[in-house]
Parts: sequence; C-alpha cells; structure tokens
Amino acid sequence: MTAMEQPVEQPLSVATPPVPEQVLEVTGLKVYFPITDGIVIERHVGDIKAVDGVSLTIERGTTLGLVGESGCGKSTLGRAILRLYQPTAGKIVFDGQDVTSLGGGALRAMRRRMQMIFQDPYASLNPRMTAGGIVGEPLDIHHIGTKTERRQRIEDLFQIVGLDPAFAERYPHEFSGGQRQRIGVARALAVNPDLIVADEPISALDVSIQAQIINLLERLQGQFNLTYLFIAHDLSVVRHISDRIAVMYLGRIVELASSKGLNTEPLHPYSVALLSAIPIPDPAIESKRRRIILRGDVPSPAAPPAGCRFNTRCWLKERLGNPARCTEEDPQLRELAPGHTVACHFAEEVAGSAEQRQVTGRPAPAAVPGSLPV
Amino acid sequence: MLLSVRDLVVRFRTHDGTVNAVNGVSFDLDEGETLGLVGESGCGKSVTNLAIMHLLPKPAGRIEGGQVLFEGVDLTTLSESDIRLIRGSEIAMIFQDPMTSLNPVLTIEEQLVETIRAHRKVSPADARTRAIELLGMVGIPEPASRLKSYPHQFSGGMRQRVMIAIGLALEPKLLIADEPTTALDVTIQAQMLELLQRLTNEQGTAVILITHDLGVVAGMTRRINVMYAGFVVEAATTVDLFAAPRHPYTVGLLHSIPRLDAAADEPLIPIEGVPPDLRVAPVGCAFAPRCAWRLARCWTETPPLSPLEPGTIVKTTGPEATHRIACWNPATAEEAVAGAPIRPGFVPAPAPDGKVDVVEEPGLPAVAVPAGPSHEDGA
Amino acid sequence: MTAGTAPVVIRAAPRASRGLWRDAFRRLLRNGPAVLGLVFILIFVVGAVLAPLIAPYDPAFGNLSLSKQGPTAAHLFGTDLLGRDELSRVLYGARISLIVGVVAVLFGLVFGVTVGAVAGGLGGKVDTVLMRVTDVLLAIPGILLAIGIVAWLGHGQIQIMLAVGISYAPIFARLLRGSLLALREADFVTAARSEGATPVRILLRHLMPNALTPLIVQATLAMATAIIDVAGLGFLGLGPGDPRVAEWGEMLTDSARFLQNAPYLILFPGAAIVISAIGFNLLGDGLREAIDPRLKR
Repeated sequence: MTAMEQPVEQPLSVATPPVPEQVLEVTGLKVYFPITDGIVIERHVGDIKAVDGVSLTIERGTTLGLVGESGCGKSTLGRAILRLYQPTAGKIVFDGQDVTSLGGGALRAMRRRMQMIFQDPYASLNPRMTAGGIVGEPLDIHHIGTKTERRQRIEDLFQIVGLDPAFAERYPHEFSGGQRQRIGVARALAVNPDLIVADEPISALDVSIQAQIINLLERLQGQFNLTYLFIAHDLSVVRHISDRIAVMYLGRIVELASSKGLNTEPLHPYSVALLSAIPIPDPAIESKRRRIILRGDVPSPAAPPAGCRFNTRCWLKERLGNPARCTEEDPQLRELAPGHTVACHFAEEVAGSAEQRQVTGRPAPAAVPGSLPV
Repeated sequence: MLLSVRDLVVRFRTHDGTVNAVNGVSFDLDEGETLGLVGESGCGKSVTNLAIMHLLPKPAGRIEGGQVLFEGVDLTTLSESDIRLIRGSEIAMIFQDPMTSLNPVLTIEEQLVETIRAHRKVSPADARTRAIELLGMVGIPEPASRLKSYPHQFSGGMRQRVMIAIGLALEPKLLIADEPTTALDVTIQAQMLELLQRLTNEQGTAVILITHDLGVVAGMTRRINVMYAGFVVEAATTVDLFAAPRHPYTVGLLHSIPRLDAAADEPLIPIEGVPPDLRVAPVGCAFAPRCAWRLARCWTETPPLSPLEPGTIVKTTGPEATHRIACWNPATAEEAVAGAPIRPGFVPAPAPDGKVDVVEEPGLPAVAVPAGPSHEDGA
Repeated sequence: MTAGTAPVVIRAAPRASRGLWRDAFRRLLRNGPAVLGLVFILIFVVGAVLAPLIAPYDPAFGNLSLSKQGPTAAHLFGTDLLGRDELSRVLYGARISLIVGVVAVLFGLVFGVTVGAVAGGLGGKVDTVLMRVTDVLLAIPGILLAIGIVAWLGHGQIQIMLAVGISYAPIFARLLRGSLLALREADFVTAARSEGATPVRILLRHLMPNALTPLIVQATLAMATAIIDVAGLGFLGLGPGDPRVAEWGEMLTDSARFLQNAPYLILFPGAAIVISAIGFNLLGDGLREAIDPRLKR
C-alpha cells in the first residue's frame, strides 16, 4: 500500500525546472457565448457573458472554493480552465505554462494533469463501460503502464476511494449515486493530476452520502497533495473544504478571501446576503435571525446591469441612498486586507455594519472604524 | 385535529418486485400547525403525502393499510370524484419543480382561473380579479400585465410564487409543500420561505413541509418527523429535536452536514453505508446496518415509535408534543453531541448471520467488522 | 471500530450483471409480447432454414391436375393455379422474405450509420450537406424509392435488397445523427474530452455504443416493414423475377384474382407476411424496453 503514498511521477513534456508553487494562474478570463439571429445568414447580435473578466490563483495542495448561484458562471469558469470551452479573452497559466491557446496533441497531453469531477453521478459515467474500464480509461488514453500495471492501478484506485475492487466488472447502473461519484473520483485520480476541478460534486447526492464524499476528497488531498478548485452553490460545504473562497456573481468574482476571512469579515454586500440566506439547523438561531431578503431575480448574463452588476439587488446601495457611483462605475477588485479583495465601491461600509454582524454573529464593535481585522 | 394519519402503508408493485415505500406511518396535525417531514430520498416522505391526496401513480402505487382522517373523514375510502372536491380547496399541494407542475401551454391566468372556478361558482371576471389579487399577494410585480404570460417566461423563483398562489388560491386548510425550495438558489429560497411563512400565518393554513434540508425546517416548522426507509424514526417539537436529538439517524444527519454556525474545520461524521433497498421487506430496524448504536435486537425487532420515557402520556400535536423515537438504543445526550456512541466498550452488534465485511484503509492493517444483512443498492 | 472513522469498503449490488447484453436478454424474456414475437420469428426462421428438409413438395413444380385445391391432408395449405403445394411455397418464400428483409435492413444500416456518423461526428458544413441530401431522400415515399431503384437496377434478389436498404438508409442516418448530437452534450463525453481523448476515440468508444442501441430497436422494427416492402415489390411484379421462385408477394399477385373461389391462396401467404411482420414489431418494442440499462432506479 505504500506505493500509493508516492504518486507515480511522469516526466513533464515541457522542461520547467523548479516546480512552481502556483498550480494555476488565471488572468482576465472571459468566456462569451455568441447569440445569433437569422436563419440563412446568422448575425451575431449579442453575447452571453458567462465569465466576464476573472482572475485567480491556486497554490499547490490547497483548495479554492468557487461559490455562487445559478447563472454566475462558476461552472463555465471551471470548464474554461480545463479548456473544455474556448476562452474569449484572458490567460490561463497552468503549472508555469501558458495553456490558453494550446491545441491538438499538446493540449491532450496537458489534459493528463488536470481532471474534473462532475455533478451528476448518473450522466458522468458511460453506461456501456464497466466501472474498471471507466477508471482505467485515462491510463489507456495516455499510454501509461503495461496491461498488468494498469489493472493493478485500477484495483488500487478502487481501494483508495473505498470501493470493492471485485466490482470493477460491474456497470454504472448497478451502483448507487454515492458509489458512482466515487468511481468518478477514482477516474480523476487515475493519472495523478496536478489540479482537480470538482464541479458541484455532491449536489446530486443524499445528505448522508455527501459527508462521505467530502471526507473522501479531503483525505485524498492530504494523502496525495492534490489541488482542488471546488465549485458549489452551497457556501456551508465550500467553507468547510476550502482554504480560500471566491464568490462569483454574474460572471465576475466579487469577493476573494481566505475561508476564515470570508466568515468573520465578509465585505461584499452579496456575500453578506448569501450568508444571511443560508438556513442554519438551529431553531433558536433561526427564530432570532433577520434575513436580508434580496429583491428581484438575477439579471441575465446577456445583459448585465450598467455599473456594478449587483446594484439592482443591493441592500447596501439602498441603505446608502442609491449613490450614483453604483450605476455608473464598474467596481474592480481591490485589496482591503492582506489576501482579501472585494469588488465594491462601498465595501468599507459593510465592515462593522449591522447586516455583517448578523451573519458573523459578532457583537457591535466599540472600537474605532477604519481598521479592518483580517 | 385537522389531519390524522394512522398506520399508513403504501406499496408499489413493479416488475422488479414490491417496493415498501411507507411502512406504517402515523402522525397528527392541528389547524394552523406547521409540521416538517425530513428525510433523504427514498424515505417515503413524498409518497406519504401523495397517498394522502390520492395522487399515487396508478396502478403500481397502492395504499395497503391505515387511514388518513381529514376533519374526521377517512380520505382513503373516498372515490375519485369526492377527493377531487377536496384537492385544491381543502388540501393543496405545491411541488419541487414548478416547470413541470405548471402546464407549459396554458397562461398563468388560465391556470389560476381554472383552479378557482373548479371549486367556486364565480364568474370569469371575478375569478380574474382574484387571480390578480393572488399574484400580487405572492409578490409578482405588475400582476395584471403578467396574467397573460406563459410559465417559461417567468424565472424559477417567480414560477414557484405562482405555484404558491395557485396553492393558496382557495384558502385551503392544509398546504402540503413537497421540497418547494430545493431547486431554487439560496437567496431565492430565502424569499420563498419568508413568503410561505407569512401567507400561511395570515391564512391560518396548516402546512406539511417536506424537505431534506434541516436548516429549512429549523426555521419554518413547529414540529418535525424524521423519516427513514418508510418509517417515522423520530417525532418531536423542532426545538426538542435540535436541542436533544436521540435517534442515531437524526444524530448522524446533524453531524454530517457542514454548518455555518460551527467552526469551518469541524470534522464531518458521515453515516456510513447506503440507504436500504425498499424492495426487501423490512426486518428489524431499517437503520440497523448503518447504525453505530445497534444492539442484537435491532436486527430482528422493528422498534415502535414511542416516548423517550416509557409510560408518558403521548401528546401528538402542539408545542408540548411528546418527543418520540423508534429505537431500542437511543443516543444519550452526550453521545448526541459527540456524534458517536461513547459508552466505554460499546461495539455495534454483529448481524445475526455472521457475515463479515473487510474494512481497509490504505496504509493500515485490514480489520474485519460485522457486515450489514445482504441488501442491494437502493439509492 | 466505530462507524464513521475508517472508510468502509462499500459493496455494490450482489445481483451481478453478466454483461449488458445478457441482462437485456433476460429482461426481454420477461416481456410476454416480445417473447411471442420472438416465437413468431423463430417459426419462420426455422421454416426457412429447414425448408428443403420439411417442405413436402417441390415448390417450383406442380401437378396441374391438382390445381386450386383447398387444404387437404396431402396439401395442408392447398395448391395454387399450377398445382404447386402452397405449404412448400410458403416455406421457401420465407427464405426470400426473411433473407432479403434482413439483408436489406443491414444494407440500410451500413449506409445510414456511415452517413449519420460522419454527419454527427464532423458536424458543420459536412453535416448540413449530408442532412439536406437525406431530407430529399426522405421526401420520397420509401416504396416509391425502392421501386425506382429496382426499375433502374433490374430484377433480382440483390437489387431488391439494395433498393429496400437504400430506402431505409435516410431514416437510420437521421436517427443516428440525432442520437450523436444529443450524446455529445452528455457529461461522460465531456469527461472523456477532459481526459484527453481524441475525437475518434470519443466517437468510437463513447458516442457510437450509446447511439447505436436505439438504432438496433429501429432496425428490428424496420425488418417488419422490409418484409412487407419486399412482398409489396413482389406483388407489383418487381420481385426476383424468376417464376419458379416462391415469394410471398408474387404469390399474392398470382392469386389475387382467385379471391372468391380460392381464398386460401391469399390467406396463407398473406398471413405469413402479417405474422412475421408482427413478430419483428413485437420484438422491436420489447428490445426497446430491454436494452435501456435503466440508468436511474
């Protein structure tokens, strides 16, 4: 079993001597989906700006949580990083190498080092392949190992994720949802990737199974020094598993902070609203809570509001008397504390506010405003 | 007492066998009370409520035992035409996915008016006025102009509001909400729950709220029934359930979800194993294979739902409702907090047929532990 | 060892699968109507295969003195105008109908799958062009298309097979292409892409196996129609062309005018056509239910 402690190292095809600490660096990434009109001649009439200028980094061995509601672009971002969508603009640097416009064989070789875990355990496995075949396919694609070595590796992978290797000959429909998700995890691990993008890996599972998979992912990260981009809409789960969290809204990151920082000091009005909306399994807390109820629906990514994207639903804007800046100027991410960036003109107003205190549970400060604790 | 479900048994007869969806479920509901039915997929919470409304898929689904007394009348004995009088006007139901519960080819107006006029003799004009009123009540902006819209022209949250409007149109005595917010974003969910709570309080509607989300029931309900594999395993007031959970399944659930009010790195204690296959007739406690507290009798005798202190007079409804569980070996208060049995020397009882599973963790020596009874996958 | 601390090796279903096809077969056998269909087909297949052994008489030659006799002990299905034994003719006719029907559908599959795979796999302009051509072919009623092709190629078994096959190819092409397009969006295909699979591998390993299964159902149903089409061509005089060869459709043509006084001459070949077509239909419907691995329980 000790062989599993040492991931099998494949030599990099590109020579980059010191292994960078940043597995992933994304700069100004945009992914637009064109909207066309017309039957015979298609006119480009607009774009769905699914991802509209996102920059982030992930350090090796850590987990970056990406959280947001439907339509915010988090899934698109995850897939664009894996080059499953073509970026419209921006740069993706993976392990020191620019992969933004990589194509063909070079891209396929790079794929070995970044893998994905999907949301739907039913749709993400080929129903006509055996579980062992599914887990071993990456090995086959990249011609890793001999036949015997591959079989051994598949067996080991099954053990690692907690499945009985005897069932490698079974088909996906014979497993439960949680077990299928384990197969998906085993498949992602097969070629020892540097980065795993987990796109809502537990949303489709029962609550009691979710914890099993979360624990599994955490254990594997410790065991193999894996790097995760964990995409989910459930902030409680993201908070639990992530080291750092990026909150997304309508194609942009609105707040980026350590998991602890976001919890103790959320600075974007949307983050505060998100934390406020999550129900807590404690009737005593729930009965005393005064939720921030956001008005209206999320705007369409094809037509984001002018100025700050959140201004149509922002409670802070209302409280501050609708300052013009919110509708005129698009806020950029700025660092308000070490490692904590926020895209809001009035983030300083959030710090220490009653709304923020409600979601963090801290008492009203008697101290001087202006100095922000991390 | 508005509703009294007694020993309800529902089975589905399929090609693959008989699915024991509901195995003797009983609960009561007073007027204006909100009861939460909590459990995961397959626990029978939705089936129970479909059975109440005679909405089980035919011919497979059948009520094979028990009674459903609504205002004294046993709904299980009613004919289709009689139950139709009750559906919508006395008991209303809203579902998880508003896209499939709303007819995509009818305008909102048509669907609302249809419901209203099916049960009340009003003119189309009056029904229309009421429809506008209802849409306004659920917070749809400019209701008069949106009457002519089709469901696909609304967002998910809006559609769910329309569902609520249809559900409450005739001011029913009971509203059954089956996972009403599961498909919604959390900020929209907050809107929806707030709306639901406000309206049902105003109208004095009793509510059965079905969900798997413990956070949602914590804020919305006065009493909760926890269900597992077609049984009610714990019944208590909401306050009691969270303050002092006793059934190992409830304890397990509470410890397996990450919570905002706990430390971020608080370890999750998952419930190992998988839910049982409902095609196998239940023997003993359905939770035994996954239970860390199990005794030998748990494998063979099904525990009845009974009060924590034997001999207590049972109150089934209201804020003083008795805390009942179906368990031979409940968790103690300390164990409920710890999430595992901490009595010294306690080992979960092995299965009667002595089958053994091998537990392996990479890097550690293999350990043999008792296996669950041979069950097939259910999830 | 308390539950919840060590990872438990989780066992999957003990009801083992012995392969997707075996499972499908088992499911099929549980379906009453499908088994009936299978029985019907088997009767004809066995009859066709064993015709030389079990046909009581030579189908090509008859005893004129016994012409147009009703069913008797000697001739269970009666005799036709030329005194040939109907039973033997029906048995030998099964060979033509079944073989031609099956091979025709196979031709159709080969053409259709190739076109559909190329269109669905490559997409873009290739797809558009191929699909427009398919649309044109689909606009022509199948039987007319077959008649046209036979008229062009001449009489003969191979010609009929090609004609009927080509008339089905557009349907199969469309179906396959549609399945491919739908499957391309599936998560497991995205997973294969994210693993670095080449487009060819994705097409062959992931797309085709899943897209072909609905096609198998369609092909089985098409055999029912093929039998009728082949008989139809025979009825119209476009059959194998050899008067000695027994073919159900031609038997109908020959006997049509005797409907009043020798209805059995139409009854038996007609029943043969209908029963074998029903057989394939029932089997096809049963296959549809049996093949789907039932992804969600």
